[in-house]
Amino acid sequence: MPTLMINGVEIVTPGPMSILEAARGAGIEIPHYCYHPGLSVVGQCRMCQVEVEKMPKLATACNTAAAEGMVVSTNSSRVEKARRAVLEFYLLNHPLDCAVCDRGGECPLQDYTLKYGPGESRSVEPKVQRAKHKVLGPHVVFDAERCILCTRCVRFCHEVPKTGELGVFSRGERSEINLFPGKLLDNAYSGNVIDLCPVGALTSRQYRFQSRPWDLVRQIESVCPLCSNGCNVVLDVRNRQQRDELLRIRPRENPAVNRWWMCDEGRFGFGYLYAAERLRVAYGREEGGQVPVAVDELTGRVADTVRRIVQAHGEGAIGCVVSSRHTNEELFLVRRFFLDILRTPHLDYRVRPVQSEETDASEDGILRRTDKTPNSRGARDLAILPGQDGLDVKGMIAAAQAGRLKALFVFEEDLVRELPDLPVREALSRLDLLVTSSLVPNETTALAHVVLPALATAEKDGSLTNFQGRIQKIRRALAPPGACRSLAEILQDVARRLGWDLGDIEPERVWAAIGEQSGPYRGIGWKEWRAIGPQGLLPEELRAASREPRPERHES
Amino acid sequence: MISLATRQRVDELVTRYPEKRSALIPILHEVQAEAGHLSAAAIEWVAGYLSLSPADVMSVASFYDMLEMEPVGTHMIYVCQNLTCAMLGAEKLIRHLEGRLGIRMGETTPDGKITLRRMECLAACGAAPAIQVDGEYHDQMTPEKLDALLDTLQARSNR
Amino acid sequence: MSFEKVLTRYQDIPGYTGTLDAYEAQGGYQALRKALKEMQPAEIIEAVKRSGLRGRGGAGFPCGVKWGFIPKDSPKPVYLVVNGDESEPGTFKDRMLIEEEPHQILEGIVLASYAIGCHQAFLYCRGEFVRGARMLRRALDEAYAKGYIGRRILGSGFDLEVVLHRGAGAYICGEETGLLESLEGKRGQPRPKPPFPAISGLYRCPTVVNNVETLSNIPHILLRGPEWYAGIGPAKSTGPRLFSVSGHVERPGNYELPMSVTLRQLIFEHAGGIRGGRRLKAVIPGGSSSPVLTEQHLDVGMDFDSLAAAGSMGGSGAVIVMDDTTCMVRVGEIVSRFYHHESCGQCTQCREGTAWLHKTLRRIEHGQGREADLDLLLDMCDNMKGKTICVLSDAAAMPIESYLEHFRDEFERHVRERACPFGEGSGD
Repeated sequence: MPTLMINGVEIVTPGPMSILEAARGAGIEIPHYCYHPGLSVVGQCRMCQVEVEKMPKLATACNTAAAEGMVVSTNSSRVEKARRAVLEFYLLNHPLDCAVCDRGGECPLQDYTLKYGPGESRSVEPKVQRAKHKVLGPHVVFDAERCILCTRCVRFCHEVPKTGELGVFSRGERSEINLFPGKLLDNAYSGNVIDLCPVGALTSRQYRFQSRPWDLVRQIESVCPLCSNGCNVVLDVRNRQQRDELLRIRPRENPAVNRWWMCDEGRFGFGYLYAAERLRVAYGREEGGQVPVAVDELTGRVADTVRRIVQAHGEGAIGCVVSSRHTNEELFLVRRFFLDILRTPHLDYRVRPVQSEETDASEDGILRRTDKTPNSRGARDLAILPGQDGLDVKGMIAAAQAGRLKALFVFEEDLVRELPDLPVREALSRLDLLVTSSLVPNETTALAHVVLPALATAEKDGSLTNFQGRIQKIRRALAPPGACRSLAEILQDVARRLGWDLGDIEPERVWAAIGEQSGPYRGIGWKEWRAIGPQGLLPEELRAASREPRPERHES
Repeated sequence: MISLATRQRVDELVTRYPEKRSALIPILHEVQAEAGHLSAAAIEWVAGYLSLSPADVMSVASFYDMLEMEPVGTHMIYVCQNLTCAMLGAEKLIRHLEGRLGIRMGETTPDGKITLRRMECLAACGAAPAIQVDGEYHDQMTPEKLDALLDTLQARSNR
Repeated sequence: MSFEKVLTRYQDIPGYTGTLDAYEAQGGYQALRKALKEMQPAEIIEAVKRSGLRGRGGAGFPCGVKWGFIPKDSPKPVYLVVNGDESEPGTFKDRMLIEEEPHQILEGIVLASYAIGCHQAFLYCRGEFVRGARMLRRALDEAYAKGYIGRRILGSGFDLEVVLHRGAGAYICGEETGLLESLEGKRGQPRPKPPFPAISGLYRCPTVVNNVETLSNIPHILLRGPEWYAGIGPAKSTGPRLFSVSGHVERPGNYELPMSVTLRQLIFEHAGGIRGGRRLKAVIPGGSSSPVLTEQHLDVGMDFDSLAAAGSMGGSGAVIVMDDTTCMVRVGEIVSRFYHHESCGQCTQCREGTAWLHKTLRRIEHGQGREADLDLLLDMCDNMKGKTICVLSDAAAMPIESYLEHFRDEFERHVRERACPFGEGSGD
């Protein structure tokens, strides 16, 4: 574990690493472009030069091993002159595009030039002109004049998706990054080059000219909901007159989940938040068909019907299918409502075969997984499964078909579409009560007595458990359109009308109850949940740290 | 698209190296020899053959001066423009060539017969100014010798 | 001075064809026979160390020491890579050896391979050397047929395969690790060092890279003994060297001489002096990457250390002589144009600096220079030196610094007079 000095600060490294990594670990900035912890090290931008005692030449920190007893300076006059010179060389041909460049305001070339670079140009040579705003693929647009040839994008395409669409062509000053003629940059991870590019050479077509970084009012740390990997993200929101708008999704670093990357589908695929078809009000079935009805009215109807069905047919005539798109807190409250309080054993989340532990698998060997819901693991960990003698999803459909199931709650699953081999339409039509929730109307909601508008992941707080068992927090970045209320609120409302109480329904508070239950989350109370940081938490990590046994009663 | 004979030579080249990627540049030479230049299709073929991405192969090919990405003339005339040759009359040769053929250095005659290229030191400084025509060195060139050379080339070529 | 030629003694044989028979007739492959029969690899390395042979490609690194860096018990294969990519402007001696005496190189290759434990050697021949590659191919076929290369060479237990590999036109592939990258089928972009090739070279295996002239010396060292070799020339720059002399001299050509020869002797005794009776103005003594020398330096010995002490370097041994019709700014423009063209483009200072240097010099030569340009050039050069993966950046900068040092008044005249005082197209 080499110990070295950087700028007079003693640093004990945990293992073999470069000077740059040692400095990063200690919070000392060494400016760099071509280095990226997720890519091969090439040492060619020359920005990270540092002075090392006893070395006659400056060393590049990214590929010089931190050695025992090394004395490093990142800010000696020699280093400052060399660094200023590198920036001057970059700026010789870099176009003055800042005013029209998406990178402006969050640009490492601007930032380093301001901090370390020359204030004026000494060159009178005309700048080299190259292709600008060249579309490389569905998501990325390229400006060859701005490119500083750090080659992060080229290395990324070779090393991560391993598709190698980009290359440096020609050599010397004539070097230019480009696609092979006729090809596109269309691998499933192409958007990552936008994050990687230190300048505005590679930018997002979706985000082009949409905002300046200082216009983003919120940059919310959350989790992508489009598969069971749970890539960590940041949601960039801008204030608009009518309402706040999500403009951009970027990955957050998490070494255990998604490292530094995310796939294009999760990055660019948030248009569904603003789809015109999105349900904004609740609907109830009346004589003429489905009409908007106030939620309070609907919860009253639901409560009345449930009471009637239980009296006539027993609790076992009611079932619930809840999607693993829901948060842990929502799932727990659903289970409490149906299994614990209503006391029906018919509860399940498993609509697609791929949702079980054995079948959910990596789709591409990189990040994408075959289970396209984010919380199947949470559903399993919280036992969102049939109780004693309870029916699974297929069983509930059969029971509805046979007239034994009178009421079914279907939260955010389009059973008609997902189970084409079963007589779903027929079965659901026989129900006395079909309560559905969804983001958009579909063939299942069309059959329902009650249609509740659902909240999207970006519109709520809570947690999701990824396929590894890691509990990760999502945070509300946007207000939902229209009159969407959370599932928890609606269940609480129905419960109260039935004379019951679900207890605290705020996400954090729900964990007080979750932590009491046996299962993988035992011992994770609201204090532990609150302490979960931006990288999420594996329950075994929690247990590995020594803790006192929990007190019997709730903490208030 | 690649002739059988070239394909066989390429197959043999790959066997010479512990790692087959090492055969890339020799393979590019072979493939270029067929058509005079490396078309996008040819590069893509080589990429497939060596299990590399086309961009990777193009990145390598475009690094080297002797590998041509665009069609060139039947005859390549390289004129050294480096120090000794420049001191001993290379620019005069260049002006003479450009004048006689009506094209600039880097261009190909409209009839497709001759391409002119400025090159760097050809390692013939002792016999400067030097040129290379289709791989063959010609030493101590003068405008008169150039004229004789061009006469021969234009008579020989039958495109 | 009359010197008994070693590497080029074949030139005294009328009608010499360089075939295997011709090479054997003048004693060729005797060294190989002797070494395989009587010497162990470690002895050969010792002999080469004692001979004092320094690399003839440009860096002048002691050859035996380089061989000694190869780990003795490496589990990985050891490679010998022969640098036949002569591209340093002014140099034309490797091409001569390749075309005219290829077997001498091959014998050196086999001996070197035996010494370092290499069983597959790669002969990287510059792409433009079309005839050279043909001669090497012919020589290899002959050597294989005679059993000098291949399996169980000359009945010994030593196997060696030699692969001929053509380059495709890039000066930077003459740089040791640029060559290795090119040989691996990539862009010829030099690698950061350390690690050095002796530890991690071709395919990340221990590798020795040697120039063709360097290897051509090996048979003679082993046949006639390292002491004999060390007796040629100065103590720290031993053995015969091929000097490529060109430019404004009466008799340009390759001259094989000990490095005790002075610049004056080389130019005026051997190469016939300045052509047309003109005056010497400047000399580049070691290829275009070497700083320029002037009249005052003519008595410097042509060994590595004396040239370094004089502010230049031995480099590739290429001597370019310029008379008083030469415009030094134009020389700067041409030399900087070369590095602008040849930079591989990896490092920011080199990629952008070689271009800026050239454009500025071109502007000055064409009468659009400014006062501030001269010190700007010097600062540019300072920013380009010692901070890149390889020394092409230094090679571009140091000559320009030397032109400004010795001929600053000429640059100032260009700026003041807004024109080249020597007229457009000087030297034509």
